Amino acid sequence: MEFKLEAHRIVSISLGKIYNSRGQRGGIKLHKNLLVSLVLRSARQVYLSDPCPGLYLAGSPVPPPQPGEPAAGPPAGWGEPPPPAARAAWPEPETPPERPAGPDARRAVDAEPAAPGAGDTLQGGEAAATAEAAWRRAEVPRAAAAGGAGDPAGGADVCPEGPRAAHRPCACPPGGEAGPGALSCAPRPAKDERPVPPPGCPRKRGAAAGDGPADCPAPGSSPLKKPRRHPEEPAGGAAAEEEEMETGNVANLISIFGSSFSGLLRKSPAGGREEAEAEESGPEAAEPGQICCDQPVLRDINPWSTAIVAF
Amino acid sequence: MVLQPSERHYRDWSDRRWKGQESRVLTDRLQSPADPRRSVNSVMLADIISTVEFNHTGELLATGDKGGRVVIFQREQESKNQVHRRGEYNVYSTFQSHEPEFDYLKSLEIEEKINKIRWLPQQNAAYFLLSTNDKTVKLWKVSERDKRPEGYNLKDEEGRLRDPATITTLRVPVLRPMDLMVEATPRRVFANAHTYHINSISVNSDYETYMSADDLRINLWNFEITNQSFNIVDIKPANMEELTEVITAAEFHPHHCNTFVYSSSKGTIRLCDMRASALCDRHTKFFEEPEDPSNRSFFSEIISSISDVKFSHSGRYIMTRDYLTVKVWDLNMENRPIETYQVHDYLRSKLCSLYENDCIFDKFECVWNGSDSVIMTGSYNNFFRMFDRNTKRDVTLEASRENSKPRAILKPRKVCVGGKRRKDEISVDSLDFSKKILHTAWHPSENIIAVAATNNLYIFQDKVN
Repeated sequence: MEFKLEAHRIVSISLGKIYNSRGQRGGIKLHKNLLVSLVLRSARQVYLSDPCPGLYLAGSPVPPPQPGEPAAGPPAGWGEPPPPAARAAWPEPETPPERPAGPDARRAVDAEPAAPGAGDTLQGGEAAATAEAAWRRAEVPRAAAAGGAGDPAGGADVCPEGPRAAHRPCACPPGGEAGPGALSCAPRPAKDERPVPPPGCPRKRGAAAGDGPADCPAPGSSPLKKPRRHPEEPAGGAAAEEEEMETGNVANLISIFGSSFSGLLRKSPAGGREEAEAEESGPEAAEPGQICCDQPVLRDINPWSTAIVAF
Repeated sequence: MVLQPSERHYRDWSDRRWKGQESRVLTDRLQSPADPRRSVNSVMLADIISTVEFNHTGELLATGDKGGRVVIFQREQESKNQVHRRGEYNVYSTFQSHEPEFDYLKSLEIEEKINKIRWLPQQNAAYFLLSTNDKTVKLWKVSERDKRPEGYNLKDEEGRLRDPATITTLRVPVLRPMDLMVEATPRRVFANAHTYHINSISVNSDYETYMSADDLRINLWNFEITNQSFNIVDIKPANMEELTEVITAAEFHPHHCNTFVYSSSKGTIRLCDMRASALCDRHTKFFEEPEDPSNRSFFSEIISSISDVKFSHSGRYIMTRDYLTVKVWDLNMENRPIETYQVHDYLRSKLCSLYENDCIFDKFECVWNGSDSVIMTGSYNNFFRMFDRNTKRDVTLEASRENSKPRAILKPRKVCVGGKRRKDEISVDSLDFSKKILHTAWHPSENIIAVAATNNLYIFQDKVN
């Protein structure tokens, strides 16, 4: 247990370092960020190696805050666990959302009934193995992974990213802008196509609805390693950024931070993207987005914990 | 060996006992209000020493700082009347080597911090050195001028042109002595060859080429050609997501101009032979020590990252520094180092805290003495360590003003690891991690060392009885 707490802490510290590195003078230090990402991965592996994932997947009230994360109890160190109802909403939007794209988001929204189920199953399904598989797959060249997109389990439509979605922090969605978008399909705010979910947050409803049953692991939700960056506004810019001093492993974190990641690594958030701005204030201002999910408690949680949650 | 600080043993930037010219330069900088670097706090930041290097004879000592300046010290000639007093180092020249730049394409600021200085061997009256920041390497010529011509025909003493009609006689200008002036001029600028941050430069033993290494690539330059360089190592993966290691340091062999080594963030060293192929991606030798599984932790990878690699003067050994140890490798044995020295093993249990405060990313350097019998490296709390390879004895010394009265002998320090702390010992928890000695240098032939402690430079000499 202590290892998990320690791992948690290390993960949050590491994410903080990566986030802060974007503001450093002289640009991102490739070496340091590579090392931080290695630590992040080690901590994550420890975190995922918990033998009893089902502990928090228990039906209604207490779905784990982080889908797929067989996390130790209340995210220790994160503050109070959200109330069950909130939690219900929490993971659900969590999973689908990191998904990148507008279209997915839209599907999620539209396929509302399916969503919760998918979300839940996904969530439930977030067994360590799946997540780790996701992680491994995450490392497969995007192009290849992209294929996996439409895959899997039923409503996986909603969460094409599958476990991978789990890696998206809801906190930093550039989406901080939109309601549910915040937690959910925030990632690509750049996309106009992204549905503008009513503040009511259909997702939330879905989540609540789907809260019951859950546990069957979403089979197949193959971690869609969707080339999140592609849809991203300056796709070229994203590619160019790779050419810049960015770590490859850190690039994996793009899946975690969503489109905001490029914003993270791009020195000037004014790369013309609104979400970059939002993302700057992202972690701190994650709250607004979360409102829609009616989880005021989330405001109190260290913004980075939301990232970890998704992790 | 007993060390004592030289009389003027530290070069605090506020020290005004320097030669007139140099202190004037620094004062001007400090007083210019418009320069944001000169606000109260940033003066300190810009003065942090980032590299220290003796030249090949040991007569000159160059330091580079975060503000992009280079300060060169010169050893006084030993005078006949004070034969027992070893030559002291005084400021010889100061110049601004690099300025902050802005990469408009990537919207990135390029720091002016001097990452490395390397001297060229002296071939005439002038001195040449290479200094580099993250992106650009410059060749500087440092020369003395102690005479100036007087008696021009076409211009007067102030330099104004004279009307030729007023000239009635001709004279030959003569050289008259003047106050010694040391001037530094940039002779070459080697730019735009590195996408990533340059971490090392190394002059080849052929004295015609040198290499510059960044995180993923190493380029070979000819001193005469600034618009081209050869890429000799490229470890950038086609897909950056597969990146697992970066280059952390590189150096040419001291005698074999075809051989060089580079270290990686994974704790490995590769030796390459440029005769094998144009692109030295495939190493000739690969040095790696198997990891000790009992020491595995979240931070194993970080602490195994090599921060510095140095050939011995003999060319037979290489020394590497990772976070907790210094290792000496025999070039003929690749599977493990021949010697391992623990620098501050008491930090092993504190890695998590050191990770949080970023200290775990500190890049310590290491140096050989002239005879390759002693190695030295820095630590925290302004401590630095020396290891005698023959006697296997080691010593911890501190570079601080309180303990370094001129002529006073440095007292060995000890860190108390646990249990009872003796009187002169310092406990691990009392160590000041903001005071770190990352850069040190050893005179090529004598027992004189230069130790950079944040923004102070300490020079210690071996006590002579």
